[in-house]
Amino acid sequence: MTAARLRGWLLRAWVALVVAFLMLPVVVVALASLSRTSYLTVPPRGLTLHWFTVVLADPEYLQAIGGSLLLAAVATVGALGTGVAASFALVRRRVPGAGLIGALLNAPLVFPAVVVGVALLQFFALVHLNGSFVGLALAHVVITVPYVVRAVTATLQGIDPELEHAARVLGASGPTAFFTVTLPLIRPGVAAGALFAFIVSFDNVPVSIFLLGAGQMTLPVKIFTAIEYGVDPSIAAISTMLIVLTGLGLAVAERWVGFHRFV
Amino acid sequence: MRRGSGAWLLAPALVILLGAFVLPVAMMVPTSVHRYVPLIGITGDLTATYYTRLLTDSYYLEIIGRTLALGLTVTLATLVIGYPVAFFLARTPSRWRNWLTILIVFPLLLNLVVRTFGWIALLAQNGLVNQALRALGLVDSPVKLLFNFPGLLIAMTHIFLPFMVLVLIGAISNIPRDVEDAARVLGASWGSAFWRITLPLSAPGILSGSILVFVLTISALVTPRLLGGPTYQVMSTLIYDEFLQRLNWPAGSAEALLLTIMVLALVYLSGRLARRTGASA
Repeated sequence: MTAARLRGWLLRAWVALVVAFLMLPVVVVALASLSRTSYLTVPPRGLTLHWFTVVLADPEYLQAIGGSLLLAAVATVGALGTGVAASFALVRRRVPGAGLIGALLNAPLVFPAVVVGVALLQFFALVHLNGSFVGLALAHVVITVPYVVRAVTATLQGIDPELEHAARVLGASGPTAFFTVTLPLIRPGVAAGALFAFIVSFDNVPVSIFLLGAGQMTLPVKIFTAIEYGVDPSIAAISTMLIVLTGLGLAVAERWVGFHRFV
Repeated sequence: MRRGSGAWLLAPALVILLGAFVLPVAMMVPTSVHRYVPLIGITGDLTATYYTRLLTDSYYLEIIGRTLALGLTVTLATLVIGYPVAFFLARTPSRWRNWLTILIVFPLLLNLVVRTFGWIALLAQNGLVNQALRALGLVDSPVKLLFNFPGLLIAMTHIFLPFMVLVLIGAISNIPRDVEDAARVLGASWGSAFWRITLPLSAPGILSGSILVFVLTISALVTPRLLGGPTYQVMSTLIYDEFLQRLNWPAGSAEALLLTIMVLALVYLSGRLARRTGASA
């Protein structure tokens, strides 16, 4: 069985190499943020947390962080409200054209985001929603709702509809049965869908960049334009903060709902 | 199963998707056939020029060809690199499996601009990759890895690898171990059992993972823009410039619709192919 053991070790070595490759840019960004130099360099020359204070004192970055958090929160609530209802209808009700509707709800997953962005740029200009928060939020609901539908539909299919029936037979109204029986049962799916929606909205550049009005900014678009303008360690510092927050969020989500089951 | 209230539950999602997605995309069709005149704007003249030049002018053909070549090579690279990883994660009884999966997912959830920025630090003239190549004595002068094909290939392989691995894990986990064991019992070597049993049975996953990565690669904007700059264009960066720099919305609409048609055609064909292979199996 030496051939089998050799294969096993080669496979493990390959997995380790690939994980290292996946982590490489993450580590490089974190290292670059610590450099004392005013230009980007890896490995860092000297160690300092100066660039973190620069970013946190910069009103443009703070405004962008606030804008992104607000937009992602509104988009997540919108995607949850519309997405959970739609998933429930698709799984538990007989809907004509359910296949087509399901395909439409999932379409933004593979549809080129840049096309959504430019299409809405033109459309919002026509209906006078250009540069508005409402338009931006609607666009973000469109791109996040598939993630809610996917996670919630998968969870709902694993729940026995008889449980809700039983509640109805015992006298609960439709909404009461849903909110007291079904919703608690599908909570892991709703939580995973909400997390995905928040991240997808918070991460988005190719839709936001076409729709941001004067005085509006999101964090990834701010970093994107900062990089186009010229790279320096302050970009590495804000990036490192995102790395740490994403890592913490993922660890919490894994402990809380077993996040890996939903990817 | 009740009828009736289903429509009301679906209405909010459908209204938003039809109003803020389907309609705006459809409205690019009329825009794309109107002539744009610089300093005047979109005129009433009808023209097919923005479509014909996409399919005949060598400048546009080169960009389309480059986009497709990038999609193809990134798909192949993620498949070759990712398959063994997915095979390991699908088969290992290791208690580290969930955390390894999380490590694969982590880059996916990390902001795309941040990941791309990491590759700028790695691939620049004085970046880590060039430092390493020189320290190893492999090159004398820095290798150009930004604003060209190799740079985009490396970075986008990194960015889309987790998608491929996750799809393949699902496909490989669905293959019953018994069929592979049966082949081994009947005398097949490990290699022959893999090539003749496991790999063909994971074909549906290979197909859907490849289509996903290809479609995401040819649609990507952020990474090609930041690593290719305004000179090394792909279709999405061309659309970006048409709308935000040149303000030629008709040309941009035609280019956006061509990209859309390419993506939808691929998704449709792969769906048909998957059904056919599924039906014959």
